[in-house]
Amino acid sequence: MTFNTWTFALFFAVFYPIHLAVRRTRLGVPWLLAASYFFYGWLDPRYPLLVAYATVVDYLLVLGMSRSRRKGPWLVLSIVNDLGLLSYFKYSAFVVDNFVWIAGLCGFTFEARAGAMLPVGISFFVFRSLTYTIDCYRGTLPREKNVLTYAAFVAFFPELLMGPIDRAAALLPQLRRAPAITGRDVADGLSLFVVGLFKKVALADYLALYVKKVYDAPAEYQSPALALATFVFAWQIYFDFSGYSDMARGIGRLLGYRLALNFDNPYLATGLGDFWRRWHITLSNWFKDYVYIPLGGNRRGTALTYANMAATMVISGLWHGAVWTFVIWGGVHAAGRTLTRALEQTGFYRERVPKIAKQLLTFAIVCFAWIFFKAASVDDAFLIVGRIFACQWADPGCPPLMLVLIACVWAYQYVRETRFRALLALAPVRIALMAGMLVWLAVVAGSSGQGFVYEQF
Amino acid sequence: MSSSEPCPVETPFGSNDVRLSLAQWAVAVLLAALVLVVAPRLLERREDPGSGPDFRIPYSLGNDYWMFERTSRRACADGKILLVGDSVVWGHYVGSAQTLSHYLNASAGAERFANCGVDGSHPVALAGLLDRYGGAIAGAGVIVHLNLLWMSSERHDLRTKKEFAFNHPDLVPQFFPEIPCFRRSFQGRLDTVVGRYVPFGAWAKHVRYAYFEGSDIPAWTLAHPYECPAARFARALPSPDEPPSPPPVAKPWTEQQLAKFDAQWVDLESSLQWRFFREALESLRRKGNRVFVVLGPFNEHMLTAASLEAYAGSKAAAAAWLDATGIPYVNCTVLPSELFADASHPLAEGYASLARQLLGDERFRDFSGAAGAEGGKQ
Repeated sequence: MTFNTWTFALFFAVFYPIHLAVRRTRLGVPWLLAASYFFYGWLDPRYPLLVAYATVVDYLLVLGMSRSRRKGPWLVLSIVNDLGLLSYFKYSAFVVDNFVWIAGLCGFTFEARAGAMLPVGISFFVFRSLTYTIDCYRGTLPREKNVLTYAAFVAFFPELLMGPIDRAAALLPQLRRAPAITGRDVADGLSLFVVGLFKKVALADYLALYVKKVYDAPAEYQSPALALATFVFAWQIYFDFSGYSDMARGIGRLLGYRLALNFDNPYLATGLGDFWRRWHITLSNWFKDYVYIPLGGNRRGTALTYANMAATMVISGLWHGAVWTFVIWGGVHAAGRTLTRALEQTGFYRERVPKIAKQLLTFAIVCFAWIFFKAASVDDAFLIVGRIFACQWADPGCPPLMLVLIACVWAYQYVRETRFRALLALAPVRIALMAGMLVWLAVVAGSSGQGFVYEQF
Repeated sequence: MSSSEPCPVETPFGSNDVRLSLAQWAVAVLLAALVLVVAPRLLERREDPGSGPDFRIPYSLGNDYWMFERTSRRACADGKILLVGDSVVWGHYVGSAQTLSHYLNASAGAERFANCGVDGSHPVALAGLLDRYGGAIAGAGVIVHLNLLWMSSERHDLRTKKEFAFNHPDLVPQFFPEIPCFRRSFQGRLDTVVGRYVPFGAWAKHVRYAYFEGSDIPAWTLAHPYECPAARFARALPSPDEPPSPPPVAKPWTEQQLAKFDAQWVDLESSLQWRFFREALESLRRKGNRVFVVLGPFNEHMLTAASLEAYAGSKAAAAAWLDATGIPYVNCTVLPSELFADASHPLAEGYASLARQLLGDERFRDFSGAAGAEGGKQ
């Protein structure tokens, strides 16, 4: 069940009144936990077993850690267990396929296949759980004594499928208290939810139609269509993922919890470093705190800083999925980040190059990387790159309405970062925008229930 | 946990300014509701769906239930007698000036009968159509056609366990009672149920069927990338006289190499279609309508001997129930073989003959006279 369905609306209509009634009682957390497991089990009845396993193991390991003088082995066990879980479900096919391929190169041919299902959202709840064990190990977070509270944190349904990846340090304290829900929370929750729903249903699902058409058969299209489809995909994935995050955060607010901001107008970034401070912020911060900094961060000289950045980006690519296209996507981001960081070290680039030029350069690099993210295979990706740069004309068949909608959103975000932002904050403007979105959702948008891009991760 | 505490963490609201207070939310919802109430009315006033004694819902709008709602509302307001049913009433193989309602009007010398037939509306769908979109049909005269073809096999009766695509799945019960051959995800069923009860849901679908070739606007723009969606609203609605699909046939079934039909009639007692047909009649009567049933005609010439016998049994059982419930009906006698296009659809002369048969029936004359008079008073 995803947020853009009537099934979820029905679920929430049953869950929410009871949540309001029991949130101040001992039943508050158990009810939230039961609802979260039901929400997850709706997709596949086996999924709750998996999240329960991850929860219980990490809870017990941290319990062991708290009673032991040597914390290291407990942390190692937790990391091995969590990453093992992730590897088994997410990477076994990748490992086996590549092993078979390399063996084939060496003259040994045989068939082998790893056939584990890929549970939706596993990358998100495993990473969320890891923040608990690592922070407990570091001593920055006290052990959670109530296993149900911890279980509710790991399985918290608004964040379960696609984040944001809230830290234990941010969410556990909220779950320990009876949430206060004010009228402001309800209004904010609704605002976030409707904007997110609009991004998903009215924008992302619309843009997806063109992207799918072109990327499903790239050999049939020439430069204009492939370039436009890549440009449109950049916005599709932004609307899709940030729309989900907005809805998750809106639901969190309605429940009385504050969830972390996950997107902050990333296509206005002036460099790749800036981009990752605005795109999937919670994952970027996770990698920064638990991978980049432990690797040494920027403390060991320029060469190692770039190496650490590159390693973090490639690991980030692999987090998305066990295919070479994601590894290359991470590599392109590593290269882009190195390039823009090097440029930012120069006074000329910092002071003389207009901001809009920096934004366009960053956006171009991000779009180039999206080709590898979206393409069905490495071969397809290189075919698309080759055709885009071949510059052969053919009618792209892209509806101008799509481009107008993207331009409107870009203009809105651009104005919001200028001194004219006060215009957007005027009550009549906000009310008209919200009413417009409601009408569009009711009349124009296509059918509900389209899947999300990040579900697969 | 005993009392609520303020949230210990504060996070930025979001990356946009579309943040409303509760009062502003109320204004936004009111504004959106106003648009959603006014827009259908404005469009309805601007649209000319066509009128006249031979009006019928254009074939391409057969799944546009808002159009049915509007057509039936207008017919009731004009005091007409409504003819409801499937493609036999609609006139699948004939032009709009060759349907049953046309010949009845021609005989009456006035616009007294309105063709509210919907192609493919089998009784289960018809019950849903009348229940959800026939709210305006109250205190009127309604002629309901019973096409026993829908009970001519377990498949027609929607009782086979194997899934198959049938007409008007959005009108059939989505959850209860269960329709064995109807497989749709829980999500899809819930979407349909919600769509029925959202006030502007049917109108939004009307916009899609009437102006965007049945697809939603986003998908339509992909198929017509350089056309302006707003310009589509300047177009006229499809004509009721547009050629039906398949195109009208002028030939009787005997000249089309159609084989004899060995129908495996289902028992009426256990028939799903018959159950919903009865529910549709009862629902109409509960709303104060005067109901008349046209039982048949059916192309009995096309049936094998064994099948003909079973058909006669089903027809008699249906007539017995109508007698028992006091609903007036005409048990149509079979038309000549050459007046049928297939198992149940008459050709133009067949409709003319059927109209004569109805007008020759005293109960029908009583009904249409009384219903017309009552309708005229409204």
